[in-house]
Amino acid sequence: MYQRSLFIAASALALSLSVPAFAHHGWGGNVDQVSDMTGTVVKGVSLAGPHATMRINAEGHDWDITLAPPYRTQESGLKEGTIPMGATVTVRGNRNRDAKRYEMKTIQVRWADKRFDVYPERE
Amino acid sequence: MAWLEGSTLGHLMRDSGVWTYAVVNLAHILGVALLFGSIFVLDLRLLGVWRRVPLADLARPTVAIAGSGLALAAMTGPGLLATKATDYIGNPFLPIKLIAVALGILNVVVLHRLPAWKARANPDLNLSQRRQLAIAGGASLACWLTAISAGRLIAYW
Repeated sequence: MYQRSLFIAASALALSLSVPAFAHHGWGGNVDQVSDMTGTVVKGVSLAGPHATMRINAEGHDWDITLAPPYRTQESGLKEGTIPMGATVTVRGNRNRDAKRYEMKTIQVRWADKRFDVYPERE
Repeated sequence: MAWLEGSTLGHLMRDSGVWTYAVVNLAHILGVALLFGSIFVLDLRLLGVWRRVPLADLARPTVAIAGSGLALAAMTGPGLLATKATDYIGNPFLPIKLIAVALGILNVVVLHRLPAWKARANPDLNLSQRRQLAIAGGASLACWLTAISAGRLIAYW
């Protein structure tokens, strides 16, 4: 019986360890290459949820711009309403690996003469 | 989903500070930890591990803690979803999780109606009764493991 419980515990451990192998949140789902993209804001910055977000129209598509977590984004100076709708912004970051998913994980947002470094260490 | 996002809950989640999501998320994870941590022990017992531990004695604390954990997770989950509900349209892990949770709760209802469960204070259950309990315990493990795995994977879609 002791052996059996050991076996079950070991199986559970193996199962739990196998999950991180294919679950890479963060930047794993995005290309390594950093690129710039310029577009107009169609949905302003939201500081809600696990990450702050905004949406811009660029290169003929609406792109979901994933920013840093809310607190960190706010500390970079980028708050809800800071950038008006329709403004032209340039975002720098890593695009989604899936070319059909118009999403970018963003390092920096530039607007007018302002610069918001939401992930300064990734520059 | 658009309705949920536009609901009072959605607005509350989005408009009450930058730490709101993080705190509600923390409560949700605590709920999941309480639920799974305790039900895992009971499920193993139902499957026949630690047979010398009286089932009725083990069931009392584990069911109470698992129930509290489920309640905490169920209270906080809709808030997390409502924050940006439309983002989850087309995410296959969300329906998998919700179905697994529903089946897990259904399994609780079924287990609690089983004659074998009602007789859990009896130390000498017969083979058929032990088998019934083992099936319910296995089903419980499968449901909650699926719910937790799919729930975590929602973020990776």
